[in-house]
Amino acid sequence: MQEARNAGAPPTGMHVPFTKQTLANGLDVIVHEDHGCPIVAVNVWYHVGSKNERPGRTGFAHLFEHLMFEGSQHHDQGYFQPLQQAGAALNGSTNTDRTNYWEVVPTSALDLALWMESDRMGYLLPALSREKFDTQREVVLNERRQNYENRPYGMAGMATMAALYPADHPYHWPTIGRAEDVRAAEFDEIRSFFETFYRPGNASLTVAGDVETGRALALVEHYFEEVPGAPTPPASEAEAPVLADEHRLLLEDRVELPRLCLAWHSPRLYGAGDAELDLVATTLSNGKASRLYRTLVHERRLATDVTVMQSSRELSGVFQIVATAAPGHPLAELDAVISDELAQIGRDGPTDDELERSVAQVEAYFVYRLQTVGGFGGKSDQLNGYNVVIDDPDHFEADLSRYRAATGAAIGEAVRRRLVRSPRVAVSVVPRGGGSLALPGSAAAQVS
Amino acid sequence: MAVDRSRLPAVGSDPPFAFPTAHRLTLPNGLDVRNVEHRKMPVVSAVLLLPGGSAMDPAGRPGLASLTAALLDEGCGGRSGLELYQELGRLGAQLDVEVGMDASTVRMTTLGRCADAGLALLAELVSVPRFEADAVDRLRALRLDRLAQLRDVPAAVADRAFARLLYGDGPYGHLPSGTRPGIRALTRADIVAAHAGAYRPTDATLVVAGDGTRAQLERMATSAFGGWTDGGSTGTDDPAARATASADANGLEAARLVVVDRPGAAQSELRLGHVGVARGTPDYFPLLVMNMALGGQFTSRINQNLRETHGYTYGARSSFEFRRRPGPFSVATSVHTRATCDAIREVLGELHGVRDGRPLAPEEIARAKAALTRGYPRGFETAEQIGRGLAQLSLHGLPDDHFTRFGARVAAVEAADVARVAQIHLDPARLAVVIVGDQAAMADGLPALGLGAPAPMSLP
Repeated sequence: MQEARNAGAPPTGMHVPFTKQTLANGLDVIVHEDHGCPIVAVNVWYHVGSKNERPGRTGFAHLFEHLMFEGSQHHDQGYFQPLQQAGAALNGSTNTDRTNYWEVVPTSALDLALWMESDRMGYLLPALSREKFDTQREVVLNERRQNYENRPYGMAGMATMAALYPADHPYHWPTIGRAEDVRAAEFDEIRSFFETFYRPGNASLTVAGDVETGRALALVEHYFEEVPGAPTPPASEAEAPVLADEHRLLLEDRVELPRLCLAWHSPRLYGAGDAELDLVATTLSNGKASRLYRTLVHERRLATDVTVMQSSRELSGVFQIVATAAPGHPLAELDAVISDELAQIGRDGPTDDELERSVAQVEAYFVYRLQTVGGFGGKSDQLNGYNVVIDDPDHFEADLSRYRAATGAAIGEAVRRRLVRSPRVAVSVVPRGGGSLALPGSAAAQVS
Repeated sequence: MAVDRSRLPAVGSDPPFAFPTAHRLTLPNGLDVRNVEHRKMPVVSAVLLLPGGSAMDPAGRPGLASLTAALLDEGCGGRSGLELYQELGRLGAQLDVEVGMDASTVRMTTLGRCADAGLALLAELVSVPRFEADAVDRLRALRLDRLAQLRDVPAAVADRAFARLLYGDGPYGHLPSGTRPGIRALTRADIVAAHAGAYRPTDATLVVAGDGTRAQLERMATSAFGGWTDGGSTGTDDPAARATASADANGLEAARLVVVDRPGAAQSELRLGHVGVARGTPDYFPLLVMNMALGGQFTSRINQNLRETHGYTYGARSSFEFRRRPGPFSVATSVHTRATCDAIREVLGELHGVRDGRPLAPEEIARAKAALTRGYPRGFETAEQIGRGLAQLSLHGLPDDHFTRFGARVAAVEAADVARVAQIHLDPARLAVVIVGDQAAMADGLPALGLGAPAPMSLP
C-alpha cells in the first residue's frame, strides 16, 4: 500500500488537504475531511469514456454507465432505491475521457454507499440480463432524441467534432453515440468492456466530507480490497490532429435564428497555452463588458448571444465560438466581426485591465465551485480529476497559478498561433430553407 | 474480515441537523435584514428578495417584471453598463437575477475580501438603475428574439401552454419571460413604474450569509443598503390581493386537451395536471410525502412506470408548486412519439391508482419520507443555499425554525394523511393535458383517452 499526503504543502495558496492511498488491487483512494455539514461525498472516476470506443461501436461507454445503475450481484435491483431511501443524491456522467459516479449521503449512510459502489465494481456482470440491456438501450435512444435530435441546434456539436477530427480519431464521434451504433450494440460486448475498463486499477475513489480520515480509509479498504486487480488498460493515444483547410458546413434545423459555430484545435487539458486560451474565452465572452458581447450584441446588434470556450480534454482541446444571429443578419456579418476581434487580440493581447479582470473571475469561480464536497464539480470530483489526469490530487494551487502567470504577450501569441493562423471548422445552423444565411461555400453536413 | 454481502449495511440514525441561526435586523428604511455566519469558505452571498414577481405584471404587459429585472445591470447611478460589468469582473462577482411568479430575487456571491464592494454594487443596481432608453430598446429586442427561439424548444412551449390552459389570463397564466405582444408593448415608463412599485426597502428582504461575524455582516448590510429609500413611491397593491382578483379566471375552462403541433417531432413533450394548492395549505407536509412517492423521485411510481417498466422516456416527474396562490400540480415528461397516448394513459392510471385501487404502501411512504428528510442537510451546504432558503421563509411568512423542524414534521405524517390528501388534491377527472408533438402521428389514439377533442391554442 502506498501513501501520500500533502501535509508538507506550503501554508499559502489554494489547497484542499487530503490523504491518498493505493490499495493492493490498484484502486486509488483519496480522503478529504470537511465537517461543515453532516454529509459525505463518495465519488468514483473510471478512466474510460467514448475515446475508448471504436468507429461503428460508439455510444457503448455511456450505455454502460446506464447499466451500472441497474443492479449488481448482491443487490440485483435498482441502484437508486436504497440510496435515495437513505437520503442520498446520486448521479453519473460519461464524457470523452472518463465516466464518473457520485453519491452525497448523510454521514450515517457512508457504509451503504461504499457497499453499493464496491458491489458494482466487483460484481456487476452476474446481474446483467439481456432485458436490462434492451431497456436501457431504449432509454439511451430516448435521451438522444430528447437532448440532441429534438433540441434546437442539438446536432451542431456532433457536426463540429465530426469535421474537426478524422473518422478514426477518438474524439470524432459523440459520447451519446451514433443512433445506429446504439441500436446495434451487442449484449455480449458488456463482459469484455467491464473486464477491460471497470477495474480498480483504472479507477479513483474520493471520500470527502464529515468523516475522520482513518475511518474512511478503513471502510474503503474493507469494501474494496476484495475486488480483484487486473492489468490497467493501455492509455489512449492519438496523433495530434491537424486540420489542413477550413471546413464550412451547413445544417438545416427547426430553428428561428441562424447560429454560427466555429471550432479550432487547441491545447489539451493542462497543456501549454490551455490557461491562456481560457483567459481569451473569458475576455471575449464572459459578461457584458467582454469584447464579443460588446461588439456583436451590444453595439452592433448583430447577434443575440455569444459564447466562447476553451474545452480542453486529455488528448487535445477544442476552442469554440458560438454566436446566434439577430434577425436579418447573415452569419457572414458575425464572422467578419469575430475575425476582426481575434486579429486584434492576437496582435495586441488583452489590456492590463482585461487581464486583471479575467484572472479575478477565473480565481473567484474556482473557489465558488469548491463550496460543495460532492456532485459534479465539487471538491471530491476535482480531487479525482486531478488524480486521474495528472496523478496528483494536490494540484489546486498549481492549476490556479497557471492563470496568475499568464501574460498578455503569451495570450496574444496563443491567439495568433492557435486561432488566427490555424484552419477552423465553421458550422452554420440555419432555419429550413435558409441556406443563404450560412457562410458562403458551406456544404451540407452529414450527421446521424 | 470479509464483507457481508448477504444484505445491505444498516443505515444509522440521522445525524442531527440544525439550520444555522439567522440574526435579524430591521434597518431604519424598513429593510428586513437576516444574517448568517457561514465560515467554511472565504465567500459571502447576498440574496435580495422583492415580493411581487410576474404575477404582478399588469394586463397586456406579460414580461414586465422580468424585463425590469434584466435591466438592473445595464447601468446604475454614476456607472454605465460597461463600467458596472467591469467592476463586477474586477470583483469576480457572480450576479444572478431571477424572476419567479411570486417574487424577483437578485443574488450576488463574492469572495469574502470583495464582499463590501460587492454589496455596495448590489445596493446601487437595485436602488438606482438608470433604465436608459437605449438599454430598454436593446433588451426588449433581445427578449423578443429569445421568445421567438423558445417557440422551437418543446419543453418551453409546453410550459407556456400549460400555464395558459390552467390559468388563462390570470396572474399565473403567463411565464415570467412574458409574451411577444406584452414585451413589444412595454415602455420605459412602464419599467420605471414597475421598479418604483416593487423595489422598495419596506417590502424587501436582504439575506447576507457567509464568511464574517454577525457584526461584520450586519455592518456590511447596513452600510450598503442603509441609504436605500422608497423614493416617494407608494408601492403597488398587496400582491396577494392582486393575484386573488383573477387567479381563477381560466379562459379555456372547458378544454382538457391541447395539442401544439410539431410535425415530424421525434418526441412528445407532455404536461398533465390541474390547479393545486397554495403554500399556506395545512396539507403541505402530507402533500410533499404523497408527491414524492407518486412522482417526485427516480424510484417513484410514475418514473418507474414510464421509464423503467415501459422505456417510454428518459424521465418523468410530478410536482406541486407551492406558491402564494394555488400553483399547479403537474406531471412533466418527454416521451417517444409513438408512446404518447400510452404514456398519458399510464399517468392517468397512476393518479387513479394512488387515490383508489393502489394506495401508497407503508414502504413507499417510508421511502418518500426518507428521501425528503435524510438528504435535507445537503440543501444547505453553501452560503447561497442558506441565503435562498431564508429568502423563501420571508416570502411565505414562515418561522425561522422551519428548516430545523422540517424533518420532525415530515416524520409526523401518517398513512391516513397521505391517503386523504391524495383524495382531496389529486383530481384525475379534472386533469388537463398539453401535448407538444406530431399531431398526425398520434391522432388516432387521442379520442380513446377520454379527454375530449384537442383544442387549438394560439400562443401570443
